[in-house]
Amino acid sequence: MDILTQQLFNGLTIGSVYSLVALGLTLVYGILHIPNFAHGALYMLGAYVTLTSMLLWNFNYWLAIAISIVVVGLLGVLMERLVFNPLKNAPPIHDKIAAIGILLFLEALAQLVWGADYRTMSTPYGEVVNVFGTTLTMQRVLINVGAIVVMILLYLFLKKTFMGSTIIAMAQNRKGAHLVGINTNKVAMLTFLISGGLAAIAASLSAPINLVFPGMGHLVILKAFVIIILGGMGSVPGAILGGYILGFTESLGATYISNDYKDVIAFVLLIIILSFKPKGLFSKEGF
Amino acid sequence: MKLLRLLAFLIMLSFVLVLTGCIENTSNDASSEEETEADTEVEEPETEEGEEVVNIGFSGPLSGAAAYYGERSLNGMKLAAEEINDGGGFDVNGQTYKFNLVPLDDKYLPNETASNAKRLVQENQTPIIYAPHSGGINAMQVFNEEDNFLIGAYTSEPAVTEAGNSLTVRIPPRYDVYVEPFTEYSMERFGEKLAALPTASQYGKDWAEELLPHWEEAGGEVVYDSSIDFSKETDFFTIVTNALENDPDVLFIGGPSEPTAKLAKQARELGFEGGFIVMDQAKLDEMRKVAEEDSYELFEGSVGVTPLVDSGYPGTDEFVEKYRNEYDEDPGSEAGFHYVSLYIFMEAMKEAGTVDDPEAIRSSMQAGLEQLPEDKQVYTIPEIGEDGGFRTETRIVAIEDGEVIAIEVDE
Repeated sequence: MDILTQQLFNGLTIGSVYSLVALGLTLVYGILHIPNFAHGALYMLGAYVTLTSMLLWNFNYWLAIAISIVVVGLLGVLMERLVFNPLKNAPPIHDKIAAIGILLFLEALAQLVWGADYRTMSTPYGEVVNVFGTTLTMQRVLINVGAIVVMILLYLFLKKTFMGSTIIAMAQNRKGAHLVGINTNKVAMLTFLISGGLAAIAASLSAPINLVFPGMGHLVILKAFVIIILGGMGSVPGAILGGYILGFTESLGATYISNDYKDVIAFVLLIIILSFKPKGLFSKEGF
Repeated sequence: MKLLRLLAFLIMLSFVLVLTGCIENTSNDASSEEETEADTEVEEPETEEGEEVVNIGFSGPLSGAAAYYGERSLNGMKLAAEEINDGGGFDVNGQTYKFNLVPLDDKYLPNETASNAKRLVQENQTPIIYAPHSGGINAMQVFNEEDNFLIGAYTSEPAVTEAGNSLTVRIPPRYDVYVEPFTEYSMERFGEKLAALPTASQYGKDWAEELLPHWEEAGGEVVYDSSIDFSKETDFFTIVTNALENDPDVLFIGGPSEPTAKLAKQARELGFEGGFIVMDQAKLDEMRKVAEEDSYELFEGSVGVTPLVDSGYPGTDEFVEKYRNEYDEDPGSEAGFHYVSLYIFMEAMKEAGTVDDPEAIRSSMQAGLEQLPEDKQVYTIPEIGEDGGFRTETRIVAIEDGEVIAIEVDE
């Protein structure tokens, strides 16, 4: 087995998951300047909703993911309506406290509803494929391809559609967007919808290679924050690139330097990048 | 607008309720463990006139990542307490007593265990406090002799009894007894190269420190030594790839059963064909549930502690059945040990002639062990050591041709 290609593939897989989570986080930050700590909880709920629809109604994996995107997306919208929108004139610290509150609430809720134990999500894509000495599983290929497809769709949506342009406009200048007649409330809701949907996709794709449990959001959320700081808060290409940088650093660092220090390596890299680019790789506001 | 908000909220709420209501009906193994899990409420026993209540404390993780473990431990105790109370309680010096469990959540944090213990002693006058993790036990040992309560220590960490605390009872066997038989079996069957990938907890590190030197002493070679933080890793492919690069014959793995099973599965996907040494924290029967084909095939060549359901002590089958009826799942050893230990404490109280003198109860433990009726012996524990540790016969199993086979251990 050629260890370099294998580890590059492993880094790509993990980077895809990180990027998808970071994208949702960065979108919300770009528009509303809220660090949405509850994003990890949305990720966790995404996995649970997919799992539940698969077990309960025997839905096909893809249909279950679609349901999950809708449910978690709407939950994101609900969060915006019930919590963040009423706080829009409050000092910024209130948003942060509220986000942490939502995180704790959703985790406790998940434990109440689904129980605290670990669950397995089994998909029809478990088979192992060997390509030129590199071990892939179908699920991992799916994660990589899925992530790229989602990123392309998101890009096309933001750049080529009118609704996407309103999001960009609002990220560039909220007041200006308001002045030219963009309904900022609608855009905020739309952003939360997309953000929740992205969390659901990331969770549904990655859950089969790990487990589903109420604390699973913690696995990714801290890293997603690192990524969006690295990539530039609010930047879409920054989140994508940052995700892959972190994924590759982890896998290659663990291989060629030391597994025990792979988090150290990732954070040293963060410090180095921030010393040269204090606002992150893509610091320009907007996309 | 207000109306719309209310409506949206109600729709979400009803959706959640629908989910809660439905998931219990599925036949899938993974989801049939509902209701029991979230239920940590304990009913106070009904007492008739002249009956008194003994409070038993429990401080364990009832929320957070390890909640399932704390809940299963508590379930074992609840089952024992309910049985004892439904049977009319127990007599100590002509006075009838019933058990009342007081569980508190410590989120797996030692400092929380300590404050819970203080609270239990002050508010509920508990003579015995259980804790299912070594950190919390260590924290209680700082003041338990002074505050006068007995610790029901559910941990296989030898250090908790080596510290010389006179009011600690260690319930499961210490893990270092497994090191030698595990090494012997794996080395003979698979070979001399070991890669260690245990959980990154203190417990996992202690285990590795015990196992690895022994492995080398026995003539083996440790080709990869690292650990996995199950609370931080989304994927194990990276680390397993690196471990397998050194071509090991045996992998040392362990941690909570379910992620450990995932780790083993990914090792197989990456082409590993050797055996596994499974740390005692993970149970083979629980690991099997994660393997999708529901067989032991994936774990061929694993050596680990005997799952409770396969233990075959005199009281095991009855307990397993009761537990299945009550909680709709197989009990693990944490449930079994908590169950049997509450009975042993009860017998010790009878022998000591007191329910509130921890020292007297501790010194009557041996007599209590001997009085334990056979049908309650989920585990047969012949004696308690000077240090307060229960001594049980070491039993281990291995997976051979997809079957759980008991392995003889020379004591």
